Amino acid sequence: MSTPNRSFLAQNPSVLWFLGFLGLFTLLVTVFSEATGTGVISTSFVKTLGKILCLCLIAIAMDVVWGYCGILSLGHFAFFGIGGYAIGMWLMYARTEGIVADSLAAQAIPPTASELSDAVASQIFGVVGASEFPPIWAFAHSLPLQLLMVVLVPGLLALVFGWLAFRSRVTGVYLSILTQAMTLALSLWLFQNDSGLRGNNGLSGLQNIPGFEETPQALISIWFFWASAAALGLGYVLFAWVVSGKMGSVIRAIRDDEARVRFLGYHVESYKLFVFTLTAIVAGIAGALYYPQAGIINPAEIAPIASIYLAVWVAIGGRGRLYGAVLGTVFVTLASSWFTGGSAPDVNLGVYTIKWTDWWLVLLGVSFVAVTLFAPQGLGGLVDKLRRKA
Amino acid sequence: MSTLLELSGVSVSFDGFKAINNLSFQIGEPELRAIIGPNGAGKTTFMDIITGKTKPDEGRVIWGDKNISLLGLSESQIAREGVGRKFQKPTVFEAQTVRENLAMALKNPRGPFDVLFYKKTKRGAERVEAIAEQIGLTDSLTRLAGELSHGQKQWLEIGMLLAQEPRLLLVDEPAAGMTPAEREKTTEMLVEAAKTRAVVVVEHDMEFVRRLNCKVTVLNEGSVLAEGSIDHVTSDPQVIDVYLGR
Amino acid sequence: MLRVLLTALALLWLPLASLAQDLQSILQEHQAEVAKPSRSSVGPVLEALTASGLPGVPAFLNNWQDKNVHVREEDGLFFLVEETGDTVTLLDIATAEPVAEGVDPGTLDQIRPNGGVRRAISEALVQFQLSDPDITRRMEALDAISRNLDPDQLGPLQGSIANEPDPALKLRKQRLANYLIARFGETRDDRIEAIDALSDDLSVDGRAVLSQILTTRTEMAQEIPQDVNLARILDLPREEAYAMIAAQADLPPLLDENALRSTLEPHVENGRVGGIPVGQLATTEARLMAYDALAAQGTLPPRALPRQIDETLANWTIYEAYDEPETAITDAALAAQKGVQTRVAASQFADISLDALSLASIYFLAAIGLAITFGVMGVINMAHGEFIMMGAYTGYVVQQFVPNYTASLIVALPLAFLITFAAGVAMERLVIRWLYNRPLETLLATFGISIALQQLAKNIFGTQARPLTSPGWLDGAWQINDVISISYIRIAIFVLALLFLGLLLFILKKTRLGLEVRAVTQNPRMAASMGINPDKIKMMTFGLGSGIAGIAGVAIGLYAKVTSEMGADYIVQSFMTVVVGGVGNVWGTLAGAGLIGILQKGIEWFNPSNTLAAQTYMILFIILFIQFRPKGIVALKGRAAGD
Repeated sequence: MSTPNRSFLAQNPSVLWFLGFLGLFTLLVTVFSEATGTGVISTSFVKTLGKILCLCLIAIAMDVVWGYCGILSLGHFAFFGIGGYAIGMWLMYARTEGIVADSLAAQAIPPTASELSDAVASQIFGVVGASEFPPIWAFAHSLPLQLLMVVLVPGLLALVFGWLAFRSRVTGVYLSILTQAMTLALSLWLFQNDSGLRGNNGLSGLQNIPGFEETPQALISIWFFWASAAALGLGYVLFAWVVSGKMGSVIRAIRDDEARVRFLGYHVESYKLFVFTLTAIVAGIAGALYYPQAGIINPAEIAPIASIYLAVWVAIGGRGRLYGAVLGTVFVTLASSWFTGGSAPDVNLGVYTIKWTDWWLVLLGVSFVAVTLFAPQGLGGLVDKLRRKA
Repeated sequence: MSTLLELSGVSVSFDGFKAINNLSFQIGEPELRAIIGPNGAGKTTFMDIITGKTKPDEGRVIWGDKNISLLGLSESQIAREGVGRKFQKPTVFEAQTVRENLAMALKNPRGPFDVLFYKKTKRGAERVEAIAEQIGLTDSLTRLAGELSHGQKQWLEIGMLLAQEPRLLLVDEPAAGMTPAEREKTTEMLVEAAKTRAVVVVEHDMEFVRRLNCKVTVLNEGSVLAEGSIDHVTSDPQVIDVYLGR
Repeated sequence: MLRVLLTALALLWLPLASLAQDLQSILQEHQAEVAKPSRSSVGPVLEALTASGLPGVPAFLNNWQDKNVHVREEDGLFFLVEETGDTVTLLDIATAEPVAEGVDPGTLDQIRPNGGVRRAISEALVQFQLSDPDITRRMEALDAISRNLDPDQLGPLQGSIANEPDPALKLRKQRLANYLIARFGETRDDRIEAIDALSDDLSVDGRAVLSQILTTRTEMAQEIPQDVNLARILDLPREEAYAMIAAQADLPPLLDENALRSTLEPHVENGRVGGIPVGQLATTEARLMAYDALAAQGTLPPRALPRQIDETLANWTIYEAYDEPETAITDAALAAQKGVQTRVAASQFADISLDALSLASIYFLAAIGLAITFGVMGVINMAHGEFIMMGAYTGYVVQQFVPNYTASLIVALPLAFLITFAAGVAMERLVIRWLYNRPLETLLATFGISIALQQLAKNIFGTQARPLTSPGWLDGAWQINDVISISYIRIAIFVLALLFLGLLLFILKKTRLGLEVRAVTQNPRMAASMGINPDKIKMMTFGLGSGIAGIAGVAIGLYAKVTSEMGADYIVQSFMTVVVGGVGNVWGTLAGAGLIGILQKGIEWFNPSNTLAAQTYMILFIILFIQFRPKGIVALKGRAAGD
C-alpha cells in the first residue's frame, strides 16, 4: 500500500493465497466427487461443501460490514434468505409448470393459458389453501428477471432500511437491535400463510433444476459447487479490493470514530449505506446459490438466530480479516455437523454421559464467550501470530 | 482581511440550562484568535455550533464570501466548506498508519464512489510528504498512529487538518499534556498556519495564549465578556473577577 | 291464566282445602285423555291439573312424561308401578304408597305419551319448576326456556316473577320475559316496547333475539310485491345473480367456463369438437364457439348468452325480505340492534384496552430489567430472555416440592429473584466486567451465554412445555359485562407490574443505591471521583435487572407455557420496549411498554385473525418511530446523552 500504482493483487498477496487454496480445494473435490471423479466424496457431502462455500461468502460480507465498518448487522441472513426465495420462486414455478403441462397434455383438449396458470398455482399454493398467484410472483416465470430479483430485492431493502437507520444516526447496539427487528419482521411476515410464499411450508424441491430433470444430482451438485467456489472467489476479490486502499481506510476509520470522519468532510451515512447495501447484495447472491443445494427454504431459516450465528462465525474466525471469516465459518459449521451428526464420541463421566448432540450448543455458547473474552482476534489472530513468528 | 465567519445572537440551551446566550462573534481571514474562559463558559458548545454538531435554538451563523448559512448544513458539508476541527483529546485513527491518516484527510472528492475508484497520484503523495515534514513525522509515515507519543498524535491531528486545507481551523486545547518543547513547536505550527487562514484556538493555559500573541476573546456563561489583546483582557476587572473567583 | 295461578298459589297456603279433591279424581274426570293422550286433547287435562294446585301434580307430570303411569284395565284407575319379580306392586298415583301387591302385569296398560304430548307436559312442568323452592331447579327451568324460546312459556314465566325471592334470578326472569314479548308479544306496541328495552342488552341471548326478529329470506321478482317487508336489495356479482334467477325462472343455465373443457371432452369426434379442430381449443373463445355449434345441433343444451344475461338482470330484482311482516317492528329491532352494536363496539374497545394494558404490563416486567442494565451500563444483555426462562423454571421446580399452589407461588417469587440475581451477578463478574466499552462484543458474549443456557434448560427439562399452575383463586376472569372480561391472572400481573414500578421508583429515587445508580448512569467518571464504586454499582444493578427478569418469568409462566425457548419469545419485544421508551429511565420503559402493548392490540383489533401480521406491522412501525425519536420517548439530552 505504501507505493502508489502497483497492481491490486500484487499489493495483496493474501488474496492470491486465498484464491490458490480455493482453486486447489475445488480441484480436489472435483477429482474425488461421484460425478466427475473417483466418488470418494458422496454427492450429499459435495452439497454440504458447496453450502459451506456459500456460507463463507455471506460470512465475508458480514466481516466487511461488521469487522471493517463496525455495523453489527443482525439482518444479513435475511438478505441471504431473500436471495434464496427469489431463486426458489423461479425453480418452483418452472418445475411445477413443466409437471402440470405434461399432465394436462395427456388430455383430449389442450389447456388455455389461464387454465395452465391456475393449475400451476393450485399445485404450488394448495398447501396454504390458495389457488392463485400472488402479485409478488409476477416475474417467477422468467429466470433472468428472477435473477435480477436476487440482486435487487436485498439491495433495495438494505438501501431503504439503511437509509432510514443511518440517516437518524442509529448506531451501536441500537442499530443491531433494529436490524434484528427487521429480520424478525420479515420472518414473521413469511410465516403467514397469505404472505404469498407458502407460509411455514416454504419453497421446496429446489434441488431439481428445470430443464435438467434427466441430469443426475451428482452432476448438478458439482456444478453448484463450482458456482459457489467461483462466487466465493469473486466475492473475496471484490471485498478485498473494497477494504484495501482509501475506501478501506475510510470505512475502518468510521468503525473506530465516526464523528471524527464526519469532521474530515466525509458523509459517513453514504459510506455505511454503500457497505450495507453492497454486502446485502452479496448475501442475496450467496443465498441464491445456497438454497438450490439445500433443496428447501422456509421462514425459520431467516429467524434472527441465524444472523446471530453468522456473527458467531465471523467472531470466532476473527473480525477485520476476510480469511478469518472464511476460517470461522468452515471451522464452526464442520464442528457443528461433526458434533450434532453423532460422529463425536460420547463422554462417559461415570455419573453422567455427555451426549454431544445435546451438549454441542452448550459447548458452542461457552466457547464463544471464551473467544470473546480471551481471544478477541479469533482464529485469524492465531494465524497472524504464526505468520509474524515465521 | 475580510470577514470569514460571523455568529450573531446565537443561543442554545440543554434542559433549560443556557449553554450559549446571545453570542456574537466574528473572525476574518487570515487571522489567529484565542478563546479563553472558565469551565462551563460554553467554549466546546461554541465549536459544536460552528461545526454543525449542535443546532442552536436561535441566531445566525454566516460563512464565507457568499454569506451562506451554516445552520442548514450537516457536519460533513461544513467540513467540506472548509472548517476543520481539532478535538481536545487527540483523535487520530490509531489502527492505521500515519500515511493513511494523512491521505484520508487530503483535500479530494469525498463521495463513496470517488473514494472507491480513487487512484493514488504523485501530487497526493508529495502533499503527504510535505505535511509530514511540516509536522515532523516524516520518519513515522509507515508507523501505526497508535504507536505515536501523545504530542506526536496532536501534531498528526494538526497535520490532518492542514491536509484538509481548511479556511477556518478550530483547535481545542492543543497544548494540554505537552512537554515545553512540544508546546513551542505547536505554537509555531499554529502561527504558521494562521498566515494563510483563520485559526481559532481554545485554550486554558494563559502562558500558551500569551505566546500566540493574538487577539483574545473571553467567554463567560455563554456570551462574550471581553475582547482585545491579551494585556487588555487580563487587566479587565470583569475578567479578573470571573477567573479569580468571587 | 294469571288468575288461575294465583288461585293455585292460594291453595298451597291451604293444604286442607286441597283435600277436597284428590289427584285420582281429577284424572278420572279426564280418563280417556290421560290414558290415550294426544297433542290435540291433552291441553284441557294439563290445565285442569295445574289449576288444581295439588302438591302431587309435578310428580305425576314427570311420571306421566317418563311413561311410569299405568292404567288398570278393569276400572280405569291410574297407578304407579314397582316391579317385584314376575308380579308388580301398585303404588298410589298421588302418594306413591303401595296399594296392592302381587298384581299380574297383564292386567295393566302402560301409558306411552308420544313426543308431542311429552313436550306439552314439559311445558306445563316448567311453570312448576319456575316456582320450585330449589333455586337450581328454577335456574334449570330458565336455561331450558332460553335455549328454546317458545310463546307458550311467556305466561308461566310472567306468573313466577312476582314471587321470585332471589333478586338476580328475578332480574333474569324479567329479561327472559322481555325476550319472549319481543318475539311473540300479542300486540305490536307490546313488542316494540320490549324491543326498545333490548337496546342496552349486550348479552348474547339478547342479541340473538334481535337477530331472530330480523331474519330474512332471499327472494327475487320482476317487481317487488307491496306486502313484502323489504330489508335490502342485493347487488350480487353478475354470474351469481343470473344463476339464481335462472334457477327460479327456468332460463337457460349459465355455462361454467371452467368446466367447459370437461363438457366438451366427450364430444371429440375425429379430432374435432363442433367442427373445430381440438388443437385450436386452447382459448376460451374457441371453446365457446365449439359449444355453440354443438348447442345448435342440439347435442348440448343452449347456454345463456351475454345479451340474455343483461336483459334478465335488467328485469329482475334480487332482494332480502324480513320474515317479520310488520315494518314498525323490524325498524324498532334495527334501531335496537344499532344501539347494541354501538355499545358492543364501545365495550370491545374497553376490552381491547384492558388487553393492551395487561400486555403492556408483561412487556414492562420483561423489559424493565433490561432497561436498567442498558441504562446504567450501556450493555445489552441478550441472555435476559433466558433469565426470564430461569425464573419460570424455578416456579415449576418449586411446585414439584410445594404442592399448595398459593404457597408455592409465595416461595417461588423471591426464590426466582434470588436465583436470577445470583446468575446475573455471576455473569457480570465473569464476563461482562471484562468487556466494558466494547458494547457490541458484550452483546455477542451474552448471546453465547443465551445459547448455552437455552440448551442447558433443554437438556435438564426436555423440550416439552412444563406446567406452572396458578392457584385456584387466580382462575377465571372478572366479567364486567357480556363483552368486557379480564382474567384474574392478567390482573395479578398488572398489579405485579405496578408493584415493581413503585418499588423501582422507590429504590431509584429514595435510596442511597438509587442515588448512586443514577449518578453512574449520568456520568460514570464523575460518580467514580465522588467516591462511588462504579464496579459495585454495576454489579448490583445487573443483579437487580436479572432478578426482576426472574420474577417476570414466574408471572409469564403462569399464563404462558414454560419452555426452554420462552425467553426468546419475549426478548425482541423487550428490546423494542427499551429502544422505544428510551434508555435508563423507568418512565421511559413504562411509556415504551404502553406504546407497544397498545399498538400490538390496536393492530390486532383491525386485523384480528392475524397476529403474525400484527407483529410485523408493529416492528415496521417501531423502525419508523426510531426515525423521529432516535433516542426513544424519554430521552436524555445534552452532554449526558454521551454523543
